[in-house]
Amino acid sequence: MALLLLAPYLVSSRIIAILNMMMISAVIAVGLQICTGYAGQINLGQAAFMGVGAYTASILASKTGLTFLLTIPLAGLSAALFGFLFGLTAARIKGFYLALTTIAAQFLFHFAVLNLPSTWLGGSNGITVPPAELFGLRFVSESSQFYLNFAVTAIMVAGAFGIVRSRFGRAFVAVRDDDVAAGIMGINVAATKANAFLIGAFYAGVGGALWAYLIRFVGVDQFTLFHSIFFVAMIIVGGMGSIVGALIGVFIIRIIQEIIATVGPNIADSVSFLGGDIVFAGMNVVLGGVIALFMILEPKGLMHRWNILKSSYRIWPFPY
Amino acid sequence: MVYFINDIITGALIGLLYSLVAMGFVVIYRASKVFNFAQGELVIIGGFIVWFTTMQAGLSLWLSIPLSLVLAGLVGYAIERIFLTKLIGESVFSMVMVTVGLLILLRGLVLLVFGPAVRPFPIIFPLKPLFLGDMLIPMNLLIGGIITIVAAVGLSWFFNRTRSGLRMTAVAEDHVVASSMGISVKGSIAFAWVLGAILSTIGAMIFLSGKSLTFLASDIGFAALPVALFAGLESIGGLILAGVIIGIVQSLTTNYLDPLIGGSLGSVVPYIIMLAILLIRPTGLFGWRTIERV
Repeated sequence: MALLLLAPYLVSSRIIAILNMMMISAVIAVGLQICTGYAGQINLGQAAFMGVGAYTASILASKTGLTFLLTIPLAGLSAALFGFLFGLTAARIKGFYLALTTIAAQFLFHFAVLNLPSTWLGGSNGITVPPAELFGLRFVSESSQFYLNFAVTAIMVAGAFGIVRSRFGRAFVAVRDDDVAAGIMGINVAATKANAFLIGAFYAGVGGALWAYLIRFVGVDQFTLFHSIFFVAMIIVGGMGSIVGALIGVFIIRIIQEIIATVGPNIADSVSFLGGDIVFAGMNVVLGGVIALFMILEPKGLMHRWNILKSSYRIWPFPY
Repeated sequence: MVYFINDIITGALIGLLYSLVAMGFVVIYRASKVFNFAQGELVIIGGFIVWFTTMQAGLSLWLSIPLSLVLAGLVGYAIERIFLTKLIGESVFSMVMVTVGLLILLRGLVLLVFGPAVRPFPIIFPLKPLFLGDMLIPMNLLIGGIITIVAAVGLSWFFNRTRSGLRMTAVAEDHVVASSMGISVKGSIAFAWVLGAILSTIGAMIFLSGKSLTFLASDIGFAALPVALFAGLESIGGLILAGVIIGIVQSLTTNYLDPLIGGSLGSVVPYIIMLAILLIRPTGLFGWRTIERV
């Protein structure tokens, strides 16, 4: 951990940029992990929740000039509110019907941004975001943003470990495993599901705000259904129902993304008709394949593999 | 007034096109209990197969259309063999997630193989619209609407009256029970995907006839989603009514409400209907299963 704090002095700025992306994705994926992995509520709208947070932060920052110390939590709260609205539908329906309402959230978000008057949300032009600033210190360079992202990510991930061990987290697991049994034990199932969406969306909103400060520009194309599916891929690869699993998933998927982004253009020269779309296309093929492969071969994710390995090491040389 | 009636008729016909694409969802759901998120990608793959056999291989329409349908069926079969057979007995969550994975996998593959270029699509149905007095009705949608109704009646009869159709319905009810009754779950799912891919290809022909083809056309898959839910995921006949209602509402919103508010509410109205349906009556108009509520 301490080594990670020194990272900006040790590694090149390219790697710092990648680490920044990883940390932001980690916040969002951990939120999705709580909502889907722990509470069992399928969520294909995480990118829309992230978008709500990013737009809130950028509007507050550019119009009212609030400090990021306030805009980041407010972004989380507004996303949480949006998520809670869809969580309320979870109180009435379950299973993949729920996935459909979260897809509707995705489309409604897209529609709202593009069709509301462009002075409000920037329409299709997007919004430029001023840099985060604290006591005259501007978070502009990659390494200064690294510290901002690191601090927020550390708080959020530590919070996630706390949440899943609290009574809320245990209620999530109970509802995921059997909601009828959970109800009989005295858990308010509907409220628990709505809470799961609220927390998941809060994380997405905070991640979205960090994203807005990192890229310094938000546009509706950054928050599509495909990005939501990328986040789902992260938690599937890492392992459902484990915060560390979400982090591992983020790490692996982002590495794959970097490889494709680096190798892609070289291949693009030989198949020139694709142009710049090769990264997007390659990403889709690889991640789609990864989701399908993991679902068929290891539905519990890498974390499960690791746990098997760990326990067999502990009891070696006995089989069990 | 004439324009108003014309808008209603065009809207209803577009709605029938949505019904045809939604039929792909419902057929796969009716025979395998899997909700296929990749339906729009099947449409676009069907479109590219038709484009390939006519424009690229230069076959005549009479030869290329049956050939395309056969090829599309093979694609559906291959998808089922590679991805879904292995998941029989796993949770529904796994299967649904695999179709979500398929959604981005197929999108990427189509982009890699065919690229983002815009291509002309063959003219399958006459371009000349039908004139009824002052009204103007697009020919491809009219013929498509008739095909949709015929297909809906036929498939509805198949699933509700014939022996093999009822077998598949049993599979949708419960995989384990169905297989212990001696029904081949594998066969049922394979059949569903072949049929789903073929229906999607027919949908692509109607939708794209005489227009241009890019990978973005797959958005029709998500446009058809509200129709499938409105009808209730198990009802094939109900799709006609649901499609017509949603098509008319959408057409009227686009033509009369959008100029007033200066936005494109028409494109999002089906999703608002979908949310309302999910909240008020999750089984849709004709779905037969009560969804568990907690």
